[in-house]
This record gives sequence, structure tokens and C-alpha cells, in this order.
Amino acid sequence: MRKTHEGDARVSEKEEKEKGRFIFERGYIDSERIIEPEKLELGGVDMSGRWGTLVLPRTIEQFDHTLFEEVKKLPGGKNIHRCWQCGNCTAVCPVAHAHPEFNPRYLIHITKMGYKTEIKKFKEYVYLCSGCGRCSVACPRDVDPKGVMSALSILFQRGV
Amino acid sequence: MIGLNPVLVVGAGPAGLSAACDLSQAGVRVLLVERREELGGAPARWKYHTLAPDFVPVSRVLGPLIEQVTKSELVEVKKGCVVESFRGSVGDFEVRITELKTRRSETRRVSCVVVATGFEHFDARVDPRYGYGRVPDVIGINELEAMLSQGRVVKRDGSAPKRIAFVFCVGSRDRSTNPWCCTVCCGVSIKQAIELKRILPDSQIYMIYMDVRTTGLWEKLYWDSMEKFGINYIRGRVGEVYHTGQKLLVKGEDTLVRGPFEALFDMVVLAVGMEPGEGTRQAASIFGLNTNEYGFLLPRTPNIHYDSGREGVYLAGSCVAPMSVEEAISDGSAAAMQCVKLMKVMRA
Repeated sequence: MRKTHEGDARVSEKEEKEKGRFIFERGYIDSERIIEPEKLELGGVDMSGRWGTLVLPRTIEQFDHTLFEEVKKLPGGKNIHRCWQCGNCTAVCPVAHAHPEFNPRYLIHITKMGYKTEIKKFKEYVYLCSGCGRCSVACPRDVDPKGVMSALSILFQRGV
Repeated sequence: MIGLNPVLVVGAGPAGLSAACDLSQAGVRVLLVERREELGGAPARWKYHTLAPDFVPVSRVLGPLIEQVTKSELVEVKKGCVVESFRGSVGDFEVRITELKTRRSETRRVSCVVVATGFEHFDARVDPRYGYGRVPDVIGINELEAMLSQGRVVKRDGSAPKRIAFVFCVGSRDRSTNPWCCTVCCGVSIKQAIELKRILPDSQIYMIYMDVRTTGLWEKLYWDSMEKFGINYIRGRVGEVYHTGQKLLVKGEDTLVRGPFEALFDMVVLAVGMEPGEGTRQAASIFGLNTNEYGFLLPRTPNIHYDSGREGVYLAGSCVAPMSVEEAISDGSAAAMQCVKLMKVMRA
């Protein structure tokens, strides 16, 4: 899925694997939350290595509706605010059956509430949407999830 | 109905007023006893602003009822009084009514009784996790309602709140406090959020809910709050509220993303539930009524509210189960009808 050159991707994957590799149940922690300074000196004491590893909490500290407001401006996303998270869209989505990472219900929610780490983690999966429109038929509140996915992909390409 | 003893109505809230009003209009004499010094029950006591779902001012709903019972020659209103004893049989009960201030008692004869002793808002101090009573700007929906009546919602320091969180199900659906659902607080909270948004259009409002139980036609409030007023919904329950000097730190989990949050708010509004109050407990013991496991008065058949199981004693309103003002008014009328039926038999 990465859009970097093959060589770069290999390096970054290797880096990620090594980051915090000694942490028990490492798989539960997103790489971006692990801070592992190569050299760390505190009060003249060398704290390099495992000592210096810091895992940032995953607590959500604020709700940021800027992306949500941008989505609302685009034709496909104009009804995103109606979503009440029933999950009908994900239930009928043929892509979601094959790829659990692609979950339109979830993408709408993290966009609405502006959960940045989650958006970063899942934004590239927006492009998996095939645009079949089954979600938009199933939606009880006329949100048009297909339209929201296309609005999101436009915004992500613009770098929002 | 001349010649018969009057009907005793205990409690002058929506249900009691409605019963007294209907009885007097049907030509029945009524003795209306109210513990407090004003008529109108909880809506008057807490200065409710409007009623869900259509934002109708409380005065427009209860005003005509109060006017009727005050003006009617058939209704004798006894404010600041309680019933202290009750005996006898249907058609000729003997009750002792005591005025709370002077402790002066009088004995009266009544033909039948409508018990409409109502509810109390849950006291959120009982559940310490929300900081209610300790932390400023954590208020109950009952207090917000009074602020909305004044048309001015402010923090304790006098400034307008920008970010407001509503916490649903406080003192409801919780084994540590009250396990039942109060049935109206979702709708009332959403109604208030919309009213807040009208007064403070720049404010951001977050509803922290477990379920949104806007039953029947109240559902429209829920839809409108999202679609027309941009009110946000977070599914989860609040675990803790802290005061951080300036703001309130609300800890909870957005269960839709499995994400714990710790967000800052200017004001936290607790959707406090309904529970049977002291008046209902006293009524149960004085009139010899059954109560359910939660302390609400227990009708003979659960689905028929007015039938207390004791001949000549009828139940109405939120002393039977949590309910809205609209339901309490119908309940009062239903109980009044039972009295009219009974008196028709007695006269024959």
C-alpha cells in the first residue's frame, strides 16, 4: 500500500520492526507512539538504549472537526453529519468483507471527531472503496458513505 | 356530585393537577393537598423552561390546569400540607391533614383518593465520579432547565460556556445507583442542547451517551440535533470528572473507536434520572400501598397504572414509574375517571 519507492519502504518497515522490539505484546502499540531516541543523556547519565524508550498514551485529548467541515463542503460528503454509527454501510460493503482495515462506518466516525492518529493509520484504505454504492442504498439516514469516501480521497490527495 | 364526600388528590404536579382539574369539570368536589407552597410539582419547583419534544413552554401546558383548580369552587387547595393518617372504607375514608408550618391538623372525610406524589431528580452527589457538588460548573439538567428559563446560561464565574458535555444516564441504568431507565432524560437533554445552541450558536456540544432513548415522536429531537444543530454524539460513559483550575477534564471512552479520551470542557451537564421521593415513600405507608423493588408504587396489574389494588385508592403519574409530563397528565385523567365511575356507583 505504501506509495514510496520500494527501497524506502523496505527501510521504513525494517525500522518499524526494530522500534521497541523488546516491548512485551509489541503488536498492540502503534509505531508512531513509540519514541526511541538513539542517544539520550539525562543529567550527565547516559540513558541510551531501552532506558530511553517512551510509549506515548493513546488517549484522545481533543475533538477536532476541521476535516469534517471540509468533507461537508464537498458534494459527496454533504450529509456526513447525519451519521449515527449504525454500521449498515460496513455490513453491506463487499470490500470490508475482504479487508477489515476498510470500514466506512469507522472512517466516518474518526473524520467527524477528528481522531488524528486513527486517520493517519487508516487514511490510505479510503482508496479501497470501489464505489459500488451498496452502502448508500443501505444507509437509513441518507449519509451516502460512498460519497464520503470519495470526498475523503479527494481531500487526502490535496494533503488536508 | 352533591352529597358525596370529596375526592382527595395527593400532590399537585402534572398528574395531580390533571386529576383535580378533570374531577372538578365533571362536577366532583376535590380536596387537593400539596406539600409545597406552590402548585405545579417538579416543573414548577425546578422552573422547567419548555417541554420536549416541541419546545412548548411549561406555562402553556400547566397554566390552564392551575387556573382551573384555583378558580373552581369545587376544588379546595391545601398548600404546604401533608396527609398524616388514613382509615375507613371506600366512600367514607377519614384522613388527617396537617399543615407543615403550623403543625395544625384537621380531620376530613373523603370518598376516594388519587395518589400523585411524583418523583425526585436523582441527587448526583450520591455518585461521586462526576464531581457534582464539589466541582464548579458540573450541573444537573434540572438546574440547566432553570438557567434556560432565565434565558442566560453561564458558568459560575459569569462567562458563557464554549464547550459543553452532556452526560447521559446519571443515576440511571447503573447497579451502584438506580438500575432503571428514567425514560425522559435523553429527550430532555437533547432538547436542552438545541436550546443552548440557539442561545450560544458558537458553542460546541457533545452528548456522551450509552444509548439514545428518544422514544416515540421524541426521536425527531435526536435527528434534528444532529442534522440541524450540529450536536456531536460520543458513545461511552464518563468515568471521572476533574477540575483543572479553569476547565473540567472529562474522562471516558469513545467505545466506537475503542479510544479513551480525556477532554476539556467548560461545563458538564448531568442527565440526572428520576427516583421515588420521600412523598411517595410516605404515601405508600399511610395509604398501605405496595411498592416495587425500586420504591415506586406498585399497581395491581403492571400495565394499568391507576389501579392500586386497594378499593378507592388510585395511582397517577411518576410515583408509579418514571414518565414524561405528557404521560403524567394522561395518568391523572385516567385516575380521575376511576373516581367518577366509583362515585356514580355510590350515588346509585
